[in-house]
Amino acid sequence: MADRYSFSLTTFSPSGKLVQIEYALNAVNQGVTALGIKATNGIVLATEKKSNSPLADPSSLSKISLITPNIGMVYAGMGPDYRVLVDRARKVSHSGYKRIYNEYPPTRILVQDVARVMQEATQSGGVRPYGVSLLIAGWDEGILPEEEVEAAAKPAEEGGEAKKLSGKTGGILKGGPMLYQVDPSGSYFPWKATAIGKSATTAKTFLEKRYTEGLELEDAVHIALLTLKETIEGEMNGETIEIGIVGPPADHLLGVEGVEGARGPRFRKLTPQEIEDYLTNL
Amino acid sequence: MSSPFSINGGACVAMVGKDCVAIACDLRLGLQALTVSNNFPKIFQYGEHVFLGLTGLATDVATVSDLFRYKVNMYRLREERGIAPRTFANLVSSSLYERRFGPYFVSPVVAGLDPKTGSPFICGFDSIGCIDFAKDFIVSGTATDQLFGMCESLWEPDLAPEDLFETISQALLNAVDRDALSGWGAHVYIIEKDKVTKRLLKGRQD
Amino acid sequence: MEVLLGITGKDFTLIAASKAAMRGATVLKTSDDKTRSLNKHTLMAFSGEAGDTVQFAEYIQANAQLYSMRNETDLSPSALAHFVRGELASSLRSRKPYNVNLLLGGVDPISHKPSLYWLDYLASLAPLPYAAHGYAQYYCLSILDKHHHPDITLHQGIKLLTMCTDELKRRLPIDFKGMVVKAVTKDGIRDIEFDDDKVVKAA
Repeated sequence: MADRYSFSLTTFSPSGKLVQIEYALNAVNQGVTALGIKATNGIVLATEKKSNSPLADPSSLSKISLITPNIGMVYAGMGPDYRVLVDRARKVSHSGYKRIYNEYPPTRILVQDVARVMQEATQSGGVRPYGVSLLIAGWDEGILPEEEVEAAAKPAEEGGEAKKLSGKTGGILKGGPMLYQVDPSGSYFPWKATAIGKSATTAKTFLEKRYTEGLELEDAVHIALLTLKETIEGEMNGETIEIGIVGPPADHLLGVEGVEGARGPRFRKLTPQEIEDYLTNL
Repeated sequence: MSSPFSINGGACVAMVGKDCVAIACDLRLGLQALTVSNNFPKIFQYGEHVFLGLTGLATDVATVSDLFRYKVNMYRLREERGIAPRTFANLVSSSLYERRFGPYFVSPVVAGLDPKTGSPFICGFDSIGCIDFAKDFIVSGTATDQLFGMCESLWEPDLAPEDLFETISQALLNAVDRDALSGWGAHVYIIEKDKVTKRLLKGRQD
Repeated sequence: MEVLLGITGKDFTLIAASKAAMRGATVLKTSDDKTRSLNKHTLMAFSGEAGDTVQFAEYIQANAQLYSMRNETDLSPSALAHFVRGELASSLRSRKPYNVNLLLGGVDPISHKPSLYWLDYLASLAPLPYAAHGYAQYYCLSILDKHHHPDITLHQGIKLLTMCTDELKRRLPIDFKGMVVKAVTKDGIRDIEFDDDKVVKAA
């Protein structure tokens, strides 16, 4: 009986729009700003941690999450919806990938899996779309951008190298840093740098001015903080800012030493102390 | 004799060489002692440098090889890249373990070259997907014992492609001559960085 | 003691099946046709457990004909062989598997290439130049090994088939009541007159 009423709540308006999705985007655009910047050797994700009471314990609040050792995620919009998606992303990266191939999914695959979850919420019965946009940052094994430039610079006689860049299906064997945005509709976009949430437009205009090709991770963190400073409402310190980076393997987070070939996670969150250090150098 | 693994007969072997790998199989399809076909290959290609050998029950050889063709094609479309041998080996393992309590009666062998480093990769499995990584050689099928003997005595490290071909061919041909359920010709693949050579060995037809 | 034989030649595939329908030690019928045509140029012969055989063969026949009606084109012998294998393979791991052995012979509608597929109840599939099922394998395969060539004519094929049936009459302990013989050529499936009354004495 119950399923008789589980028709999709997201239905076309006569003008061809799905207003539920637009409402979801409105929820995103009221959310706290989050941004991501891709550098040559990594990615930074940054957002503001807002609490509306001085009694809240900021250290217990976390908006940037690790999905796989090399992939992290941040959001703008509804916190509870985000946590559901973090759960699903972590789950699907194991059930749909690691338990099959014994390796973690590349960023695009993870992004597509999360995007599918969000898309299904726009077409299924009895559910509403997710009220969040996501920024997903990760590092993929493959041919790094600088290697690609080298290969392109080489003359055509060494056809082998040029051939390697694309597979038989015209695919890309690209590796290195990857930054994606996923919207409530389930559409996703790759970015060099972008922002989502309340002051996304302002932040993006700022990023357009500040972003340069060949950016290093350290500079990217710097720019991220500057951008955040433009839009932030409260005070900026290690407690109110949250930063996640994709960088070199953090072997100190491995928990063990002396295991040959073991690599630490590339994604990690900066400690309040590290953020303070960046802020003093701003 | 009525074990599903030895109804149809068949043998497969993979070997590591210097910057190359080889995989070879016999061509017999039988029903107990009767030979039905002398043209039943047991090696399948799933990428430029990814090969799977399957011995055991002939019906499962066909079913499992088709299953992986489907899975690898889907992987290639999804990921826009070919599957690496190590990734493929893990896919084989998890797919077989999925049938833990009603297994496919096959003993798979994977051979290939890592697409990034070009380093040789071989491994074998039991029918429920337990991986046996090896640095030297992997054998499977009804001539397993004979193949172990041949490989132990003929194989040496860092064989060049031509020497590896000779080694794996002699190992297989002489092993199957002492097994009533395998033989009747062979396929040999030599896999190098930018060349894969497939040779058909006529072998003894008795 | 059911006999299935198949021989390919230059431009034909011959399929032959024994005429006796048996239950235990009793011959119930002496004019049984253990073949079904799947389409204009594909013929399937079957043996195995009574009930399963016709049930499975006609299920395949119905599906092959349904395909031809829906798509206004016939499946090739190869496509049909792999379809049958798929059905048999999923049956094998079901609660009650079909116990049917098959020979599937045909001529490709486009290339006119003759082909013959050997399938057993385990869904092992082998494309072969000549094939048999059951005890007939032990008597006939060696004869065919010696005398078969890929480019024989239909006439030579029938002579070869006669050599096989003669040997079966000589050696099999039970009379299989002669053979239904059919030939598949580019023009379709044709019944072949076959002398069942020829007496073959043991040597």
